[in-house]
Amino acid sequence: MRAYLAFTKKELTEYVRNFKLFLAIALFALLGVMNPLTAKFLPDLLGNFMPEGITILIAEPTNLDSWIQFFKNGTQTGLFIIVILLSGMMAKEYEKGTLINMVTKGLPRRTILFSKFTGALLIWTISFWLCFFITLGYTLYYFPEGTTENLSLSVISLYLFGILLIAVLLLGAVLFKNAYGPLLFTGAFLMVLFLWNLFPEAAEWNPLMLTSRNMDLLQGTLLLEDLRNALLVTGLMSGLALIVALQIFKKAKL
Amino acid sequence: MDILTIAGLGKTFGSQRVLNDLSFSVPEGSIYGFIGKNGSGKTTTMKIILGLLQADSGEISVCGQKVRYGDTRTNRFIGYLPDVPEFYSFMTAKEYLRFCGEITGMPTALIRTNIDELLDLVGLADVKKRIGTFSRGMKQRLGIAQALLNEPRLLICDEPTSALDPIGRREILDILLKVKERTTVLFSTHVLTDVEAICDRVGILDRGKIVLTGSVSELKNTHSRHSCTVTFRTPADTVAFRKDPRMSALNTVLHAKDLSVTLHADEPEQAMALIIRILGETGLVPLRLETAEPKLEDIFLEVVR
Repeated sequence: MRAYLAFTKKELTEYVRNFKLFLAIALFALLGVMNPLTAKFLPDLLGNFMPEGITILIAEPTNLDSWIQFFKNGTQTGLFIIVILLSGMMAKEYEKGTLINMVTKGLPRRTILFSKFTGALLIWTISFWLCFFITLGYTLYYFPEGTTENLSLSVISLYLFGILLIAVLLLGAVLFKNAYGPLLFTGAFLMVLFLWNLFPEAAEWNPLMLTSRNMDLLQGTLLLEDLRNALLVTGLMSGLALIVALQIFKKAKL
Repeated sequence: MDILTIAGLGKTFGSQRVLNDLSFSVPEGSIYGFIGKNGSGKTTTMKIILGLLQADSGEISVCGQKVRYGDTRTNRFIGYLPDVPEFYSFMTAKEYLRFCGEITGMPTALIRTNIDELLDLVGLADVKKRIGTFSRGMKQRLGIAQALLNEPRLLICDEPTSALDPIGRREILDILLKVKERTTVLFSTHVLTDVEAICDRVGILDRGKIVLTGSVSELKNTHSRHSCTVTFRTPADTVAFRKDPRMSALNTVLHAKDLSVTLHADEPEQAMALIIRILGETGLVPLRLETAEPKLEDIFLEVVR
């Protein structure tokens, strides 16, 4: 346990000193501010850019527009940033051979892997929830009368999908030992999820639901029961990715 | 008691046989010099001892426990210094050592006292900068400190002096000598003067096998003899000296090269006395007269030939 805490602390120190944590926080905070602002001012902006004499009718923006921005940015930009920032989490250690010293000191490889996962998870957790609370604050400020259903479920499901991606990324990082391999591996994994949607009867089991149906949740057209299978698969896949990564890492040449 | 025992170790990379039935043991409290040419299998052997590589055959035990590939429990007895040690460059030396202490589960108070003592030992006590800016010699010294942190019973150093300048090399050798009181050292190298300076036992590795092993003085006694060399100014003098009947009557090995004549002798004083007598009687004047101690290098060259 002490070794796990020490190695996790090392991960965090590394993220702090190489500015990755700072970068993630800054970018996610920016996203958090942008979401409600875009929703509020996009109609005005569009109006100003229209040529003279043409008027477009845009419905008055609501808090839902702000959440649309959040889920779009969160899934596309946010996950993208996290995956790129973390793609080198094993590569550098393999490349420089820094883990040899750890393993020859009797640090179990399992501990190394779980610490890596924890460190990555912490970056994602801090940035994601920061972005969420900033969006929430400004949305309440700009659209005080707006209401939503199931906001927490909707946000948590996006958060969980992020965890799945990090687990898959870690598996890729253990498999490929360089910075590009894990990126491609995670990309390929997403492709598989998109192809999965081609089979409508299996779509309700697809973890991708956690990031694509958030607005339906907010509007109350999708309920927790509808999400249960996707949540289950997400949990199973995350666990499986970690177990496979561990088995590979145990026998990996450092 | 033997702290490390290797029996029948074999390892093949592709079609290349790197280790071939390698066996040796390291007694507790010694500095064991593991000598071999580049590519003779020294690093491979060390990595197998540490469970970083899988052996094809054979058995290793450290402090009586068997080594397994992957997570091996025997590593808690071992401190390891890789040939080019790499540390987390964003940490300072002190932070790195504290981190190493924490992952090995050492008590906090012990970590603190050991760190101060070790940083002092390796001369990094006043260095506050991050490891990323360290020179090779400093990294090597930090490497020794981290390897000794958890008070290992066996310290394995993979060519610790090879990449260093003469001063750095001397510092490392001095540290290893000091360390001898607390732990057994297995130290690989191809620099024979380093071995002569600090090791008390050696094993010479050639083509994946130990071809010679024993204590340094033992090897010198059994495998090489003292030699006496006379060098003359002209070839004619050399020939005249060699033709002396007493020289040919000598029952020792005799080398003649250019202007020098070398005798291998068990009793160097007597041989030298004879040479001086011959010189005195024949009136030949030598350019140089010398007696040489047996050198490890000669033994090494002899056995790996």
